[in-house]
Amino acid sequence: MPKKPLVLFGLMCVGLCGSPAAQVPTPDQALISPDAKDWVTYGGSYTSQRYSPLKQVTTANASRLEAKWVYHVDGTTELEPTPIVANGVMYISGFNRIDALDARTGNIIWKYQRQPPAAARQRGTAIYGDKVYLATSDSHLVALDARTGGVRWDVKSEGGFTISGGAPLVADGKVIVCGNRPHGFIQAYDAESGKYAWTWSAVPTAPEDPAFATWGGGTPAGAPIWVSGSYDPELNLIYYGTGQPDPQWTGIARPGDNLYSDSIVALDVKTGKLTWHFQNTPHDVHDWDSLESPVLVDATYRGRPRKLLLQANRNGFYYILDRVTGEFLQGTPFVDKLDWATGLDGKGRPLVAPGHEPTVKGAVTCPSTAGATNWPPPTYSRDTGYLYVVVAEGCGINVITSSTVPDSGTGYYESPHAPWQAYVRAIDALTGKRMWEYKAIRSNHYGPGLLSTAGGIVFAPEQISQVSVLDAKTGKSLWHFNTGDVITAAPVTYSVDGEQFFAIASGTNVFAFGLFDGR
Amino acid sequence: MKAARSFAGLLLCAVAPLLAQRGAPPGPANPFLGKTEAVAEGETLYNQHCTKCHGAGGGGGDIGPAIVSADRLDIGVSDAQTFNIIKNGVAGTPMSPQRLPEADIWKVVTYIHTLRGTAIDNPLPGDVAHGEQVFWGKGQCGTCHMMSGRGGLTAPDLSNIAGTRKARSISDALTKQQHRVYGSGGAHLQALPVMDSYLPVYVTTADGKIIEGVLLNEDGYSLQMIGNDNQLHLFDRAKLRRVVVEPRSLMPTDYDKRLTPDEFKDLLAFLTRQGRPAPPPARRGGPPEPQEP
Repeated sequence: MPKKPLVLFGLMCVGLCGSPAAQVPTPDQALISPDAKDWVTYGGSYTSQRYSPLKQVTTANASRLEAKWVYHVDGTTELEPTPIVANGVMYISGFNRIDALDARTGNIIWKYQRQPPAAARQRGTAIYGDKVYLATSDSHLVALDARTGGVRWDVKSEGGFTISGGAPLVADGKVIVCGNRPHGFIQAYDAESGKYAWTWSAVPTAPEDPAFATWGGGTPAGAPIWVSGSYDPELNLIYYGTGQPDPQWTGIARPGDNLYSDSIVALDVKTGKLTWHFQNTPHDVHDWDSLESPVLVDATYRGRPRKLLLQANRNGFYYILDRVTGEFLQGTPFVDKLDWATGLDGKGRPLVAPGHEPTVKGAVTCPSTAGATNWPPPTYSRDTGYLYVVVAEGCGINVITSSTVPDSGTGYYESPHAPWQAYVRAIDALTGKRMWEYKAIRSNHYGPGLLSTAGGIVFAPEQISQVSVLDAKTGKSLWHFNTGDVITAAPVTYSVDGEQFFAIASGTNVFAFGLFDGR
Repeated sequence: MKAARSFAGLLLCAVAPLLAQRGAPPGPANPFLGKTEAVAEGETLYNQHCTKCHGAGGGGGDIGPAIVSADRLDIGVSDAQTFNIIKNGVAGTPMSPQRLPEADIWKVVTYIHTLRGTAIDNPLPGDVAHGEQVFWGKGQCGTCHMMSGRGGLTAPDLSNIAGTRKARSISDALTKQQHRVYGSGGAHLQALPVMDSYLPVYVTTADGKIIEGVLLNEDGYSLQMIGNDNQLHLFDRAKLRRVVVEPRSLMPTDYDKRLTPDEFKDLLAFLTRQGRPAPPPARRGGPPEPQEP
């Protein structure tokens, strides 16, 4: 036994585990081609498919799942983060905080807590080599040592921008963050050093910008960005959704399309320049942001191999775009209750039906402001070719307190004639055809996100506390567990020593599940 | 039993108004904040007027609740709110209005402020640059501790130490073998603790391989450690042949002797600045936060 303090010399290892002889992937490789046992980004991989090749848990044995551990995240309220899992360690984030756990047992390894403890909702972290990243409530971006939680660097956001609760995304060696203030934006920082790289503003800031004219003389504002994006390493493009224009509920002060609100945007990750955009909801007055995860799929579409981008949008339409050019290929309603538009034109622009602008008296609109779906992410199964989406059927009544004051008070509520009901709905990704649906009884609002696996299952938590496993082909429920609290987060799956786990945050706890005997 | 219930009710009554004020506007600024003489005068006044109920150092007494905790983050009660409580009391509780000049109330508040928060809120005086030299030089702290990516991994990373520990806790860790501090409920934990003792551990795997390092966590079924290879190791305990944890910290606790008084003081000045202070509370007004969603 040594009688004096252990002294460490030599090079710090990159990565957390593995024998010295093992081939250690570079940080970029580990994200481009993630190890199947890990969940390395908010969307599981750069595609945001939230599909895992793991298949220990199948339709045949899912009934033998059981809770393996629960971790209480003290001081929080309603957790929304998607954990990151790499090499057996789970990282759970919040503003100002990351907890690192042994992903097999739930035992805490380290905790980084910066003052003050913050309860604001935050949706995840990111990992790059031996660093994990978090945003603070005063808009610093911090890199932590993934082994110890020690601070590696800490930078204040450039230009006074306020970083939102969207999970950072590391792409091309840059940490990409997004935010809402003073308007929607995306920023990049060098992942190794924290050095600032670029900012893209989601609304035009100069009159010479062609997008400026789409605000009809009003001041471009809004378009907040608070959900992480996707990345195509071959094209070196990142894909993000943007939020609603401001003022949110009346368009009288901003006649025009209000670019780049409610849009899907593709940015060159090296420069931050806009490569293309597609606006789902021009001149929005219903808060139908486009922050639903853009899912990247390579497929033969109408006889031609294409790089596709799929999005089930809050406005009720399911979109298929060419992600190289942004070309609109197809748009299909994925909810029955949709009355604000009669369809989409050949460019994907909605054919708006009259009578749905919010009024003082109240205007019924379907879907509701809560949306046909919302930010909790969908999943795409490479086996079935289906996109699985948490759907809310229902209509809302939108009221404003003044028809002449641009930023007057507002509200929306459930239409008594069309109460909301949540479903998990399977959509054939290339046709938009609905294949099956699972009714989440009692859940009436968007809630958690989804994942699918090579085991033929969809892991489908529900807004009201149930965690269900569904057959990916049929939607049949195979197993369920009551977490005892609401669920507004997205699940992950990972493997440690050959044992597959599923984890989901519910209320103030993170639950992990696995097979009864680990096999 | 009846007395116990009444006491519990009293605590709730006393604490509830504090909690209710967390969302209140910040109020006037503390005129004595950061003034050492005011802290000393405030301590004297506190000991004359407040200790009987709230205990020495604000740790709680027979009548009043703890107004600071020993090692956890204290949040939510601004100096202005504390001032109002002392001046106006808390209705329905034994906390009566204190008949003190306003300047004296502010001094008491200033003293309580130093008890609250963590070291970064009340960093100790000294030559910070020299303290950093001592950290990496004579103190040999960096041999085991890491700071902003530099140093060793066999002891807790100290990049944020002042944001998580109080100054006294840091000082005690350097000078006392029994320096572990518990929450205001004594050994009764209020949250799951991180195991930061970093005890030496020796693990023998099923195939006879021995891994040495420091312990990060363990229970009857698993063990988490960082090895001398600078890597995390996560073990299923049932698959290990042998586990030996040395019940002694590797942390020397004689820094007040191995360093000169000035070196020790400056080292504390350096350590009590490692972290980020909480940002000031947001001003009221301004544009509303965009809705998510």
